[in-house]
Amino acid sequence: MGNLYHNKTAQWLVYAAFFIGLALIPSFVDDAFLLNQLATYGVYGMLALSISLCWGFGGILNLGQGIAFGLGAYGMAMTMQMQSQSESNPIPPFMLNNSLDALPWFWEPFSNTAAGLFLAIAVPTLFCAIFGGIMFRARVSGPFFAIMTLAMLSAFYTIILDRQPYTGGVNGITPPSALQIAGVEIDPYSSTAYLTVLGILVVATVVAKLITQSSFGLVTQAIRDDAERVRFLGYSVAGYETMIYTVSGMIAAFAGCCLVMLVQYVSPAQMDVSFSLSMVIWAAIGGRLSLLGSMCGAFLIMGAQSYLGDTFLATWLLILGGFFIIVVRFLPNGLASLLESALGLLASKPKTSAEPNGDAKPVPAE
Amino acid sequence: MDIGSLLNALILGVSIASIWLIAALGLTIIYGAAGVINMAHGEFIMLGAYSSYMLQYYFGLPYLLCIPASFVIVAAVGLVLERGLIQYLYNRPLDTLLATYGVSLVLMQGVRLIFGSDPKYLAAPALFSSNISLGFASVSTFRVVILLVTALCVLGIWLLFYKTRFGVQVRAVMQNKEMAASFGINSSRIYMMTFALGAGLAGVAGSLFGVLAIVLPTMGASYVVQAFLMVVTGGGSLAGTVVASGVTGQLQSVFAFFSNDTFARFLIFVLIVVFLRFRPQGLFAQAGARR
Amino acid sequence: MDFTRRRLLTTAAAASAAAVAMPNIMTSDKAYAAPLKKGEPIKVGLLFSLTGALAVPEEDSTLVLQYAFDEINKNGGVGGVPVEPVIVDAKSDFGVYSEKTKELILREKVTALFGCYTSASRKAILPTVMQRNHLLYYPTCYEGAECTQNTICTGPLANQHSQDLIPFMVEKFGKKVFFVGSNYVWPKESNKNAKIWLEKAGGELVGEEYIPLGSSEFGPVLGKIRDAKPDFIFSTVVGASDIAFHKQFKQEGFKVDSMPIASLTTGEIETRAMGAEFGAGHFLSAPYFQTLDNPTNQKFVENFLKSKYGKNGTTHYNMEETYLTAYVFKAGFEKAAAAVGFENVTPRAIRDNSGGIRVEDNISPEGLVWIDENNFNTWLKPKIGQCQADGTFKIVKAAAEHVKPDPYSIYPDAGTCTATGLKGPDGKLRTNVI
Repeated sequence: MGNLYHNKTAQWLVYAAFFIGLALIPSFVDDAFLLNQLATYGVYGMLALSISLCWGFGGILNLGQGIAFGLGAYGMAMTMQMQSQSESNPIPPFMLNNSLDALPWFWEPFSNTAAGLFLAIAVPTLFCAIFGGIMFRARVSGPFFAIMTLAMLSAFYTIILDRQPYTGGVNGITPPSALQIAGVEIDPYSSTAYLTVLGILVVATVVAKLITQSSFGLVTQAIRDDAERVRFLGYSVAGYETMIYTVSGMIAAFAGCCLVMLVQYVSPAQMDVSFSLSMVIWAAIGGRLSLLGSMCGAFLIMGAQSYLGDTFLATWLLILGGFFIIVVRFLPNGLASLLESALGLLASKPKTSAEPNGDAKPVPAE
Repeated sequence: MDIGSLLNALILGVSIASIWLIAALGLTIIYGAAGVINMAHGEFIMLGAYSSYMLQYYFGLPYLLCIPASFVIVAAVGLVLERGLIQYLYNRPLDTLLATYGVSLVLMQGVRLIFGSDPKYLAAPALFSSNISLGFASVSTFRVVILLVTALCVLGIWLLFYKTRFGVQVRAVMQNKEMAASFGINSSRIYMMTFALGAGLAGVAGSLFGVLAIVLPTMGASYVVQAFLMVVTGGGSLAGTVVASGVTGQLQSVFAFFSNDTFARFLIFVLIVVFLRFRPQGLFAQAGARR
Repeated sequence: MDFTRRRLLTTAAAASAAAVAMPNIMTSDKAYAAPLKKGEPIKVGLLFSLTGALAVPEEDSTLVLQYAFDEINKNGGVGGVPVEPVIVDAKSDFGVYSEKTKELILREKVTALFGCYTSASRKAILPTVMQRNHLLYYPTCYEGAECTQNTICTGPLANQHSQDLIPFMVEKFGKKVFFVGSNYVWPKESNKNAKIWLEKAGGELVGEEYIPLGSSEFGPVLGKIRDAKPDFIFSTVVGASDIAFHKQFKQEGFKVDSMPIASLTTGEIETRAMGAEFGAGHFLSAPYFQTLDNPTNQKFVENFLKSKYGKNGTTHYNMEETYLTAYVFKAGFEKAAAAVGFENVTPRAIRDNSGGIRVEDNISPEGLVWIDENNFNTWLKPKIGQCQADGTFKIVKAAAEHVKPDPYSIYPDAGTCTATGLKGPDGKLRTNVI
């Protein structure tokens, strides 16, 4: 009998129970604020999931996930902004105030909601594919890749700030009304919005989970543990790395879209270095080797920030930073690894022999 | 476009380069010697500024003495951090990055709790609030001071690393820790010393930046990414960082001269990414250094 | 409804697909404030940052509003009922501004919001405020070019702010001016207005530069200024950068007597932070200075500084504009209560009844101001102060007449802002233009 933690069926069951639980929330809760807030946590969960996929399973520490997230968010905001423009009034007000008298060419496609939504996902995904492809083929990896993503993120942040007539600068874009799909408005405070976000989160999680269990996922995990050996076995390491990085970026792009749908607002703050770093913190604390663990890390920290933050107003960052240090120092695989060891103990009790997984060097995922 | 103003921009470029260099110097040593990615470096700079402020405001220490004093104080903080946390993480480079980010949050909030979040003011001798005119160009005295201090630090480090027994030991540990250990070098002690030294240099940078701009708990955040890029572009060696800072400082000044400051920054970031694509090991990679 | 929904939820994916198709059930124009009851306190939200980079000015805003509501409650409250401020911390994070706005409106069910110091945070919360048809009192200067039906602003608009400053400086120091600003919308809009005043005054613009927000490297900009040799500098640099700018100005050997900085931002807190030696001699245009010589202001400064809220030791224009919002709210609420009855007062009703409200000399430290009936900004008198060696300001000029706020002064093609929306040149009315 192995560790229940590594049992695939058990994992799927836990995931299913977790999401069904989340889906039932709107039936009990009739608080528009809470629903909206929980939906926002869903977005953070999506981001933690994408980090877990890329870093936990692919071994690629990405400190610039804000790029894909931000591009997705901007795409969605542009789409929503154009929905409130009309024939007689085709140009968003902030552009008029920046002396533009025609809609810039790259805004044109966003007049069409379907095209806009497609671009909001496609552009960041394509960016990740190209940037990742170039970097991984040059065998940039580890801390170097982390620093490169940081540089790229800073570049995006700066250019969006600087090109105010096209991007709204530091003020960002504030679509005045909620997203409409096929004539139906998705009110950000409704259960509709909540379930939409949850639905996307479920699909993203299922896809990510399937990837990690596929042979593709096994190769990426092998690359994480020793890229050179995998290369000598004849696999295209760069190809695998690019793929996992791109999928992770795509999930982040979806998260960006969802966030803007919920808050009707985007600004360069979404591409701030510290926000991208906090995504990594969520995954690290929750447990980057577990998709569900990472998501729970995001829920836990953002929830604590909202509800404990005001109680420990002055010391909140102190607590968070200290907690994070302790996790990195003593629990490198996050809180999820606590559960893993607990279940491991449980599994090994009936037998007195050595644990099956205890000494294995490569950490089994989940 | 007259030559005089372009010349001024070039002189300013040297000054900007020296600011970037002094910010990145401590990081180079910590990264180059121990492979630690210290995300708390910006907060070390901030601590340097606050220790100068504290010494000046509460003990009335003259500014020029605050600079070495900040070195000592921040080096001590670095020492404690290394012993308490970093030494356990040397074989996990990515985890040092994360742990030091946690440290940076703690330091930032700690300073905010002690000193408040309002900006503080660091006074420098009146002499520094003037400028030197060379007829065709002019430059502020304080920028010259920064340049001199930076040059002094670089010279000091070079002497330390290449002319002393300690330096030989550091370089030996950098190249091969196990081999060095087998020759009787206490590598743990070497790491500790270099980390403290790097932190101390950040302290010096902080006491300089406090005069140039403003002392705030959040001031460090703006330096850390930029400092990292210098170190990585330089390849982690002292000479590499000096050249990388020199070139980017100059480019920043010239780009800003022809366009504007924000766009200049954007160009620099993109150029660095492109450069590292073709030379991921940086300008001067250390031969035989472990990665 | 519940039954079918629960059954659908057995598979989450199916549920979300169905949910998208579900008709919208939540949107409506109903008021989201709690129904008011006579005798129960009126809740209002104070949405400012108490931590983080914006805490320096915004903590003062929270303190002065608490002071103002204490003062109002002591004198009988609003409509006979005390006001209860709900204080939240927006942590200088635009995402948190948005979240806290929802919390205040949907959960706390406040009657009005007082908040924000930057355009970016205002823009972040406006969609929520507008969607819930709520009311935001925005208490500081901003660029204009907005026409929403859910805001009241007590700070100077870009068209009011520099109207006197530019001609004054041109007359006193010379024709040539260099514009320096932080790289975002407010400095750019302010400079567009300043250019109009500059042209009228016969001045000449010799350069215009924007530096990144938060940047502390002014070397390149000061180099360009040195080459352009202006007679004075017009600055819209904000926050920590502003302090770095003034310090480096002096360090680079510029002389305040021959090339002063005329600023829209460098007030009492900024000069205190940079050290008065770097601020002395420069000019500021604002509707309020701590040194304003009138009995109301003397009383305000004295009482505020000795109250428990005066711990930071100074008053400044942003605080005074924030202080006014409390009295604009009081007057608006009482007018609305008289019109529709106390129990029926909604945020929107307060707003609709706030046009033309006056805050008289005996309450307003800056002197009489009133709310414009069309665009709900404030008629006020900008004043010019020169920073002295001790960090206080000496008033060197005060506008003789109140200046009309006009959010679209430089965009006549956009239309005119009316109480019900932006009236375009085509005669169409558009609501909530941001």
